[in-house]
Amino acid sequence: MLLREVEYARPATVEEAISLLGSYEGARALAGGQTLVNVMKARAAAPDVLVDLVDLDELRAIGFSADGLLEIGAMVTYTQLVGSSEVEVARPILAEVAATIADVQVRNRGTVGGNVCVADPTNHLPPLLLALDATFTIRGSGGERTVPADEFFVGVYMTAVGEGELLTKVSVPPSSGAGDGFAGLTIGKHGTYVANAAATVSDEGVRIALGCVDAVPVRASSMEERLAGGDFSDDAVQGAAEGLGASLDPPSDAHGSGDFRRHLAEVSAARAVLQAASRRKAA
Amino acid sequence: MTTVTEQPARTLEKGYVGQSIPRKEDKRLVQGLGTFFDDVRRHGMGYVHFVRSPYAHAKIVSIDVSKALELDGVYGTITGDEVAISTDPFFEMSVEPGGNIKDYALAVGRVRHMGEPVAAVCAATRELARDAAELVEVSYDELPVLVEAEESLKNEVVLHEDAGSNVVWSGVFEWGDVDQALAEADHVVRIERLHFNRFASTPLECAGALVEYDRGTGEWTLHCNHQMPGIGAIWMAPSLRVGIDKLRFVTQDIGGAFGNKICLHPQYVVLCLLARKLGRPVQWTEWRTDQHTANAHGNERTFLDVEVAVKADGEMTGFKVRALDDCGAFPRYEPLGCIIWAQVTPGMYGWRNIKVDFTQVCTNKSPVSPNRGYSRMQHLWLTERIVDIVAAELGLDPVEVRKKNYVKTEQMPYETPNGCVYDSGDYAAALDIALDLVDHGSIEERRREAASRGKLLGFGIGSTLDSGTNNFGQSTLLNPDLQFSGNNEAASVKLDIFGEVVVTLGTVPQGQGHETTAAQVVADILGCSPDQVNVRRGHDTWFNSHAGFSGTYASQFAFTGLGAVKGASELLREEMVQLAAAVLQAPVEAIELADGMARIKDGPEEAALPFMALGAIVNANNAFLPPDFNPTLNHRYVCRPYFGMVDTEKKTGQLTLTYATQIHAAVVEVDPDTGEVEIVDYAAVDDCGVRINPQIVEGQVHGATAHAIGAALSEEFVYDEEGTLLTSNFYDYHVPHAMDMPPLKTGAMESPSPVAPLGAKGMGEGGGGGIHCICAAIQDALATAGKPIVSTSCNPPHRVWAMLRDPESSRAGVAVVSK
Amino acid sequence: MAAPAASHGVSVEVNGEQVELEVPARRLLVHFLRDDLGLTGTHVGCDTGNCGACTVHLNGEPVKSCMLLAVQADGARIATVEGLAADGELTALQRSFNEHHALQCGYCTPGMLMSATALLERNPRPSEEEVRVALQGNICRCTGYVNIVEAVVAAGGGA
Repeated sequence: MLLREVEYARPATVEEAISLLGSYEGARALAGGQTLVNVMKARAAAPDVLVDLVDLDELRAIGFSADGLLEIGAMVTYTQLVGSSEVEVARPILAEVAATIADVQVRNRGTVGGNVCVADPTNHLPPLLLALDATFTIRGSGGERTVPADEFFVGVYMTAVGEGELLTKVSVPPSSGAGDGFAGLTIGKHGTYVANAAATVSDEGVRIALGCVDAVPVRASSMEERLAGGDFSDDAVQGAAEGLGASLDPPSDAHGSGDFRRHLAEVSAARAVLQAASRRKAA
Repeated sequence: MTTVTEQPARTLEKGYVGQSIPRKEDKRLVQGLGTFFDDVRRHGMGYVHFVRSPYAHAKIVSIDVSKALELDGVYGTITGDEVAISTDPFFEMSVEPGGNIKDYALAVGRVRHMGEPVAAVCAATRELARDAAELVEVSYDELPVLVEAEESLKNEVVLHEDAGSNVVWSGVFEWGDVDQALAEADHVVRIERLHFNRFASTPLECAGALVEYDRGTGEWTLHCNHQMPGIGAIWMAPSLRVGIDKLRFVTQDIGGAFGNKICLHPQYVVLCLLARKLGRPVQWTEWRTDQHTANAHGNERTFLDVEVAVKADGEMTGFKVRALDDCGAFPRYEPLGCIIWAQVTPGMYGWRNIKVDFTQVCTNKSPVSPNRGYSRMQHLWLTERIVDIVAAELGLDPVEVRKKNYVKTEQMPYETPNGCVYDSGDYAAALDIALDLVDHGSIEERRREAASRGKLLGFGIGSTLDSGTNNFGQSTLLNPDLQFSGNNEAASVKLDIFGEVVVTLGTVPQGQGHETTAAQVVADILGCSPDQVNVRRGHDTWFNSHAGFSGTYASQFAFTGLGAVKGASELLREEMVQLAAAVLQAPVEAIELADGMARIKDGPEEAALPFMALGAIVNANNAFLPPDFNPTLNHRYVCRPYFGMVDTEKKTGQLTLTYATQIHAAVVEVDPDTGEVEIVDYAAVDDCGVRINPQIVEGQVHGATAHAIGAALSEEFVYDEEGTLLTSNFYDYHVPHAMDMPPLKTGAMESPSPVAPLGAKGMGEGGGGGIHCICAAIQDALATAGKPIVSTSCNPPHRVWAMLRDPESSRAGVAVVSK
Repeated sequence: MAAPAASHGVSVEVNGEQVELEVPARRLLVHFLRDDLGLTGTHVGCDTGNCGACTVHLNGEPVKSCMLLAVQADGARIATVEGLAADGELTALQRSFNEHHALQCGYCTPGMLMSATALLERNPRPSEEEVRVALQGNICRCTGYVNIVEAVVAAGGGA
């Protein structure tokens, strides 16, 4: 509840932020703080320097790239996502899911960048962005690079963002008629997920990503293959989900055993796919 | 919210009593101008942080505070060794061997639960105290950990060497002849195991205190939130080797307590020692994690080898059970829980043959503390589970089984097999109101409709009693040497110098609206408005308006608290009338108190004295009063309920005086794929006799329902094998938020209590009705999915799923033997 | 403010008044308000940012002040429960809380009022469902939320 001593800096530009992050070992970027401040209160982590990104307006933009990708700045809050007309038009599932994160106070501060960089296996956005085939732009002193979702999430609390680097934006393909779905079991309404799944059904096929069952979000590739034929009836989808659990080795905790999570993964994946299929616009 | 109210004849003339007048407390609270203990500041104060054990069971090998003391801004430290020298262990209530347990304010030599305080550091700021605590070096030798009560019974690992056994208390309670009832029964239903899970009410404000020590007088002042200062002082004073009068408890606003702020004495003694040692005020605020890990859990109870005797017509004639209660690392207020359930031995039912073989053991978990519904809730859950399991196994309607077996209103006042007297109530009528509120007749149709959506719908009832106004003599049924009996509560009412009505209570309100309800009672007796009545906030030992059992707990304020207020007000009223009669030169019978005046009934306008005049005369202008008339206009009254003595041999007696009724009904939908339970309809019917302020009563019903829903669906203190609490924060220990609560319908009845001063029964705790009805509803919902038996009180999705996946396992312990 | 420092001077507007103070970087906003400024109406109920008892407005938006450092509020506008009633004149929402018995112990009440006030500012006539969503980050252990929701809906002129 009470933090260790820490130093705080508030850079005015992204370059300044990157410079600070690179200059001080043990420096951490402070975005919305809805996870980092908690972690520091518990003294589970104690960065020496906090680099507050609050003044970096460049990271708050929501817009479109030249080739039509929806670009979401790393400092965009969940509330902003929920209220964004760009998101509503291009990929509304992002707003739909963001609206279920915790509560209003958390949504006013918590950011997209924070959600993905924390890389907590139970977070909402990692499996969703993996299913949506999002890409992540990372800037460091050496320049900028863009990384796909399956390379971005590296482990529990670990991402491809290295020391002295900053995630600047997340880019998401527009739906273009695809249907998206998200399902799972939470601890209470709008609580932490016990198991979740995100799915996209489009002309290119199905993408299904599972959260909570591994260190990083995982693609349910076998299930995707079984659905390649395009039959998204109830029976077909339930049938395709069978056996998904057996391929997983999820954790056990106070909210459920590994077995329960295996089962929930199948249920969530099926529900997410059915939801996505029902929302897909006819070609 | 639909409210249905039956209006039987009232037993007293009411003006303000019976009205839902808005609360006086609200004005300061809605402006953030309440004073909770952490809001109190003292110049030069130090902040305390406890160093706590990371192990559930270990020997303390060494403690080194030197590095902590070197930190700038650290005022001092204290360890268990110092505590063992400067204090005596706390008074224990049990007989041997449990009574030999040595419980000090800090761990001495050994730690017995994760989070147990081992040392304390005091520093200039909160952050520094926390930093310094990290620098205290403690080395431990781990010991084997006991987290299961059944394992603890074996005594292979003994937690308290002074006791030599993990058994805190054990005894057999037997009334009637259950073996004969079983022999004569047409059906015997056996239930191998039921388990009431560990949870607590987790008040939003954590425990704490700011303690000052006056070196001149040797007195401590504790600005705190202890909800039962009487017992707090009884524990602390002998431990500190001082008289009770050296401890002044001051409470102001308290952010909820629900029983969880009764066993704060260990930490408070540490604060007292530090305040004295360091010569400055010291303050400690408990953290949420510490409240969950190391303060106050509700009793965890396992019911084994239940046998129920049932006749062919559905009459239940008796039951026997082995109850195993897990009180955590230290008993403290226990083993009182080993008898308190006996206030409601038969539940709401007429069976006369009951045997309970009760054992309480220690484990390496957080110590328990009284928790809303204390000990009765666990027992009533048992009786309700029995009724529903009997009904399910014998193919009977749980509504009909209840109506058949409920104590009937014609039988009131009803003496239970162990001598308690249910004062009033009409259980069948209350049940009918609940059934009506949830439209019970449409259940089957709704079940079909839900099935068409892939959901399993279920209906359940939870009927409970909130027994209030304790006879502390019940403690002698556990330990005949204890010198406790009866009960009391005090209040003082006076007219101040300019006639303001001032009330001081012995109670310790934590949100129950005492300032308002007391004002209503006083206003009716003195003939003024509640706005004219100033009820002092909180409890202060220096008010000298308290008695040995003072506090707010155990659902008794409406009886003892308001009984004391009534008594004091009536004494004051009598004097005011006599004084007015003397001044107005009229006979006493001609005087009335009304509209804030004492006046001659139907007399001329001038024949009236405002309260201000009465107060001024007595306090400032009294020379003309006759020498034999000495009004003080300041009266203290102690309400002492009459119980009679308990019989320690037969284990009978009047354990509580009032019995409020709660009937809860729930309709749930279960998602068979995830085990999620959604409450789609819910009704709570309450009968607490006369309702002093119906809105306040209803608020208590809402709150008790929310606690029960949380306990039924998500709140559980879960431990792993190492004794680590896995649910120590609000992420993992999920309590209902606004979106989790179903629409609540409430209904009320008023069966006045013939024994209570105002006809009002204590209420507030509820009996856990929500837990019972949700368990019943889940079992009903799953009846088409293999008829699993719900055998735990808390059923989050993973447990419901386990029942769906393997109903046979859950049924394995249930058997019916029929003639 | 570019060089990292363990302590900073902050300039914050609190309930309409400008405050300038030197604070350690590690101090939480809730402790700054309670301990440094003596505004004890904002409460602490948990250690993990779940309970919302610490809710205040930061630049007009409800946030949990236990999840913010005081230094993060430099240059910002803060509103706490003490700033609601102007000159002791209770707001319609505060009066509604009293009329509907929406508080028992009062500990969660400041946080509830701040969340509900923000809701009514952006949605003057919320439905019961909308109120529950807005209050989802505020835990109450006394009331079961029944009367709180009623009070907010009523203050908005709804049922």
